[in-house]
Amino acid sequence: MDEEEHLHRFGTPLPALQKDVVPAKKPVAIEDQIVKDENGKRRFHGAFTGGFSAGFWNTVGSLEGWTPQTFKSSRGERASSKAQLKPEDFMDQEDLGEFGIAPQGIRTRDEFANEDEQKQRSDQRRRKLMQPELGVGAIPGLPVLEQLLRPVRDKVAVRILKSMGWKPGQGVGPRQTRKEKRQATARNSKEQYLMEHYGAEGLPSNKENKGEEDSNNEDEDDEDITFAPDDYEPIFYTPKENRFGMSYSGLNRDPILSKSSSSSAKPMQHINLFGEMEAQANKKQLSIRGQAFGVGAFEEEDEDIYARDDMTRYDFSLADKKPKQKKQQHVQQRHVIDGFSEDNSPAVLQRPYAIDLPRDFQPRNWLQRRSRFAPMDKERAQKLETASEYKRSGLGRHDLNPDQRAQILGEQQQEEKTAEEQPKRNPFKDHSKSLMERINARTEGFTKGGVITENGEEQQTELAKEVKEANAAIQERAALKTKDLPSAMNSSSAFKPFIADEAKQLRYEKFVSSKLTDDKEITEFLARMQPVTLSLWDREMEKKEFIQAAKIYRPLVGLMNDRFVSEANVQAEKVEQQEKPPEERKIVMERTKTMWKPTALLCKRYNIAEPFGGAMLEPEKELKAKAKISVFDYLETSVNTKANFETPSIFPKHIEKSIPEKVETPPSPPPAPQPEAEIQDKPNTKEEPSKHTFVPKTPLEQAVDESRNKPISEKVDLFKSIFEDSDEEETELSEQDKLAILQESFGLPVTSTTSAAAQNVLRNTSPPRGIFASLFSPKIKDAAKEPAPTKFGPIEGSKLKIAYKPRKERLRNDRELAMAEVAPEDIYGPKLPTAPPQKPAAPEIQAEANIDDRLQQLWQQHAPKKRKAEKWVEKKCISGSEDSDASSSNESSSSDSSDDNDKRSKLSKPKKSHKGSSSKKSKKSKLKSKKKSKKSEESKHKAKKKKKKSKH
Amino acid sequence: MPEFENFNVKTTIDCKQGAVRAVRYNVDGTYCLSCGSDKKIKLWNPASGLLLKTYGGHADEVTDAAGSCDSSYIVSASLDKSIIYWDVSTGAPVRRLRSHAGGVRCVCFNEDSSIAISGGRDNAVMCWDIRTRRLDPVQVMKEARDCITTVATNENRIYAASLDGCVRTYDIRVGELTCDKIGEPITYLAQTRDEQCLVAGCQDSVVRLLDCETGGLLSEYRGHRGDDYHIECGILSNDAQIVTGSSDGDAFVYDLLDGKVLQRIRISDNGGVVHSLATHPKRQEMLFARRRDMYVFSTDLQIEEEQL
Repeated sequence: MDEEEHLHRFGTPLPALQKDVVPAKKPVAIEDQIVKDENGKRRFHGAFTGGFSAGFWNTVGSLEGWTPQTFKSSRGERASSKAQLKPEDFMDQEDLGEFGIAPQGIRTRDEFANEDEQKQRSDQRRRKLMQPELGVGAIPGLPVLEQLLRPVRDKVAVRILKSMGWKPGQGVGPRQTRKEKRQATARNSKEQYLMEHYGAEGLPSNKENKGEEDSNNEDEDDEDITFAPDDYEPIFYTPKENRFGMSYSGLNRDPILSKSSSSSAKPMQHINLFGEMEAQANKKQLSIRGQAFGVGAFEEEDEDIYARDDMTRYDFSLADKKPKQKKQQHVQQRHVIDGFSEDNSPAVLQRPYAIDLPRDFQPRNWLQRRSRFAPMDKERAQKLETASEYKRSGLGRHDLNPDQRAQILGEQQQEEKTAEEQPKRNPFKDHSKSLMERINARTEGFTKGGVITENGEEQQTELAKEVKEANAAIQERAALKTKDLPSAMNSSSAFKPFIADEAKQLRYEKFVSSKLTDDKEITEFLARMQPVTLSLWDREMEKKEFIQAAKIYRPLVGLMNDRFVSEANVQAEKVEQQEKPPEERKIVMERTKTMWKPTALLCKRYNIAEPFGGAMLEPEKELKAKAKISVFDYLETSVNTKANFETPSIFPKHIEKSIPEKVETPPSPPPAPQPEAEIQDKPNTKEEPSKHTFVPKTPLEQAVDESRNKPISEKVDLFKSIFEDSDEEETELSEQDKLAILQESFGLPVTSTTSAAAQNVLRNTSPPRGIFASLFSPKIKDAAKEPAPTKFGPIEGSKLKIAYKPRKERLRNDRELAMAEVAPEDIYGPKLPTAPPQKPAAPEIQAEANIDDRLQQLWQQHAPKKRKAEKWVEKKCISGSEDSDASSSNESSSSDSSDDNDKRSKLSKPKKSHKGSSSKKSKKSKLKSKKKSKKSEESKHKAKKKKKKSKH
Repeated sequence: MPEFENFNVKTTIDCKQGAVRAVRYNVDGTYCLSCGSDKKIKLWNPASGLLLKTYGGHADEVTDAAGSCDSSYIVSASLDKSIIYWDVSTGAPVRRLRSHAGGVRCVCFNEDSSIAISGGRDNAVMCWDIRTRRLDPVQVMKEARDCITTVATNENRIYAASLDGCVRTYDIRVGELTCDKIGEPITYLAQTRDEQCLVAGCQDSVVRLLDCETGGLLSEYRGHRGDDYHIECGILSNDAQIVTGSSDGDAFVYDLLDGKVLQRIRISDNGGVVHSLATHPKRQEMLFARRRDMYVFSTDLQIEEEQL
């Protein structure tokens, strides 16, 4: 019993276990715990805890099942544009909720958001843009321009400041005079110093007035020059809330690396390197972005294991407050906009500040910005109008009479006499001028800058603004005065355009009532009224103004009269117009008849026989030839054709003329017998040569002309000259030339008429190699048997018709010839090489040839006897009876493709296998054929090059 | 010669299809078509004013329409550059013919409705084979140098009036194109029943009667006002009177021979241009289009009384 009394019990005891009963209530296993949303639906699905419920229980169906979408014709609603579906339309309610994919909440607008938030958002936007379906532009991916250019947008606060006249770099506050400013800077620097050395709770600064004295004597006259205050970091004096010693802050309760330590106004403690990163991490935690994986709903968030030990990790009391707090915080945070945190400081009763607004203040939403190209709002347009009017007329200063000027200058009401005696001058101008000069003299780098006014427009100068303001003030005053005046001096004129100037207005009213129209009379009339002080120019201007004003500010009746016309008048006018007899134009009928061919089908449909039995000439043959009529046909409708600008006789042929024309149609007999169809086909080509007769023809052209009318079989020569591999003849030719040059240089007579045999002697005697080997050798052998008809065979010297020389060579030859004529003494400079040395080249070729020969010999030696039968490998050896035809035809085309060669080799393969050759041999043969094909390719390239050259 | 009887209004139909661009009778005059600026064609019974069918499918204003000889098809021209061949009974477009490079202004059938002829703003006259399913024109005549305003045809000729002031006659039988130059832009062209003459409404507020054979100018009819409107004219079935619309809301009936105004039909007191008209192929009856309305005028008093 005693013991029981001494025991202290905490909590409620568990029910005593009954002996037989095993505890039935098992804790629910984690996997069996299900999170449900407010509708009782399961919130997370999938294999892992983190998943989303998409659609209807993760299906595409509904409670009734899935039905495929039925076809709905959009025909009826073609015009109505479909409402753009947003992703939100496909989301569930919970997706839009706090924990969904697209949480919706209150956010600060971009204009007000702080910088990193803005950046984050723009990043998001960019990410969106990067998605292919959203990238609308032609260039996929990030828009480059957006990357390069970033709109300059100040924060609203900055904008407001700017509109108040603040400029970046300046401080905020009332403008200071020079003296004041100096004091301020001194004070600031001192404070700064104190701040650095003693912290925020440093000693209060003593006022030192030493510096003032020297400045005082410098200048006292420039009181009216004001400067913007300097920008400095203001010092916030925080009230002391604790009872620690001076500048002692105790142990920081926050985690060391947390953000709050850096953001709190304790300067000397800790530099947080990870501030930004941490802040971002925090944000992430705050806004659950719907990541599928991570911390489960039932799991406690892991502790920050990398955080260093600090005091927060220790309990200071037995009660475990922490989780509670956390929950509370979380609940609170839900209603806080991203990037903000709730203020925990106790609410301080703040005295409401009554702001007395300027009288002409007009609230305006700064965010409703208009396009630059949108029409101006009426008010502003008017404002501008008046302002510019003022400027345009250049009369700003003339509008002021001496009284007003006196008012502006702050002079006391002077006697009229003195006012009149004063010379006319613009007080503003002079004053301002001197002011500007003084400012310029004082300050270096003072640049005239615009001031952003309330409307966001930059006023040219402050002066203009001041003048305007002053004027407005005067006008206001004047208006006030006139208000008291007995109204209806002149009842007829409701408008008082010159109300600002009473005298002027009076004059105007008189002028209006006089109803003068003559210019002279008006001047005289006005002269009587105008004060003597008014200059001639002013008088003139006033007259003009009056006339203009009288025009504008007319009584309503007149205005209406001008705008509207009575119906009777209109009718009368119309009748008059009608009555006016329209000028009689003699209509002369003209009839022209032309041939026109209706199409056969049209005739058929009209059940009419085709005119002339369908044998009519068709003028629109080319139109018919086109399969489809394209829009471009109409680009050259009859209006645009050349024929239309000429006499109509050209336009479809006249019947009368067409008959003789027909007789004429067969043109002068063609140079060669030709089928009739060809005549009609090529009328243009025939005409052309006659047109361009003056152009000297190249031999090739001549050949083309000659052979134009020949049958194809006879055109072989032409083709040869065009397409043949001009390698051989060129080499021949060059050699011939070289010889000639050599002979010339040796002083021998040039033997131009050398026989073929003689030339052959001069030729390179080395055996043909590579592709030429295959080209030449059979030719030489078969020369006797089949003389000419090869299409692209080499041309023998005597046969040569068209010799092509590369331009370079020709030029060189010419030059050399020219040089040869001139005596060597007359020429200076290094001598040009007359001809490439032949001798060194020859052995090379020879050597190559030798190598080839030797290779062949080797090949033949090493090859087994059987292989000797395989003559197909080297073309040179082809003389076989079976292949002769094919080979000759193949060889005849000098630029045979390598493919063909390959084919041939393939074709011949079976033969070889038939003969029982080993795979080794076939390999070798393949290699050979490859080599050959390579060579042939080379030759092909060469040929191509030649062709190009010849074309040029 | 029978005496001229005045025309009286028989029916007034509010077509409810925007401005009525053209009114046309069918082949025997029992029905009529109105082409609206709302891109639809409406088939009416002119006697009762009953709307029979609406044909919609054009993409722009319908400028002209014509019924086939058996009244089972309609061909219509539109500013959407296409011609549509409609089935009358189903109201469905059978074929859409596109080759014109500009809006099509006029269309007509030949006598047995095997060929449709159209003229457009692209200065081209196109002949379309209706029998086959060919979608390109059988023949294109591009001689005109300005917009084709009317095409007409008879057994062996195709007439095309153009704003270049010429009436072009394509004689299929002879294989000849005859160009009669008047010199004034022609806004409309009508044939007399005997096919001897053409009635050409000109831009200078004159209707001219042309002789087909010689190409001579037979007569001129003045009195109405054309201004710059596309005013149509017509000839009554007895070939004795010529009708024309006017820009001042009237219609004029001229005597063919002496060119006098027989009747100035006051269609409406509210003005509006009477720009389109159609004459009944058999009776003394006419259709007029003014603004949104279609008017049926007839000399037949009895019907009028019945109506009243």
